[in-house]
Amino acid sequence: MLIDYINPFVEAAFEIMSEILNTPVSRGQLQLKKLGEGMQELTVIIGVTGTVSGRIVFDMSEVTAIKIAEKLNGETFPGITDMVRSTIAEVGNMVTARAVTKLSKESRTFNFSPPTIIMGSQMTFFESDDIEALIIPVNTDYGTIEINIAFKE
Amino acid sequence: MKIFFGEDGLPTGQTNSGQNIGVLCVDDSQFILKQLSQIFVSRHFTVVDTALNGAEALLKYKAKQADIHLITLDITMPEMDGLTALKKLKELDPDVNIIMVTALGTADTVKEAIKLGAKGYIVKPLDRGKVLERIGKIFG
Repeated sequence: MLIDYINPFVEAAFEIMSEILNTPVSRGQLQLKKLGEGMQELTVIIGVTGTVSGRIVFDMSEVTAIKIAEKLNGETFPGITDMVRSTIAEVGNMVTARAVTKLSKESRTFNFSPPTIIMGSQMTFFESDDIEALIIPVNTDYGTIEINIAFKE
Repeated sequence: MKIFFGEDGLPTGQTNSGQNIGVLCVDDSQFILKQLSQIFVSRHFTVVDTALNGAEALLKYKAKQADIHLITLDITMPEMDGLTALKKLKELDPDVNIIMVTALGTADTVKEAIKLGAKGYIVKPLDRGKVLERIGKIFG
């Protein structure tokens, strides 16, 4: 497991979530899981390339996505609207960028893609077998966000 | 162009001669555009327009150049990224005031943006006070 690369993403997720939600966050049990197994309803995927390549996935229920968007926008949403999707995508973007900033301080160079949002829990994903994925559940007052990180050298 | 500062020490959207400061906000996130617009409107800046990528920003700046005194520019965007847009905007108008708004706090990116002519940068998540402080430094 490329743990040196994964830790900055975990730290970044905790920092950004605490900062923007203004609430304590805690880490759930780490899991090894293939992408697509037991996915929730709203998924943000960001590709990462550089010293190592891979992707980071933020997976959450619709209820959690709406609650987080409501907190950050200061308004209520009737469901998954464009603004909810945009807000959640930006949260993923901020976490990834913070992690990349941390890694660049260690002379590791990374670029990342704009976020892609996928809706629905019945999606099938195909990834190469040599990619190792770690799931870090981040518990907040607004629900749990599962962060699924995978890199390969 | 000298901006008028409020009693709280933060800039307002008016110059000392009473002219309104027009802003073009560029970001691929509707959420960030909304946050920036709220911050600017709360200080009486005029948000002239918004754009979702660098290419759209160029078109909108060309069309409304006379009304735009400041551009906030995201770095990671589809179609045309912020650094490319910055270069093209400065070619179009060397005097345009551009501030980068980015989630990336990497020194290389910031140095590159400053070298290309950006007046400063703001790191996301956006904090209203910090955004206005940076704007104040540009026009102060």
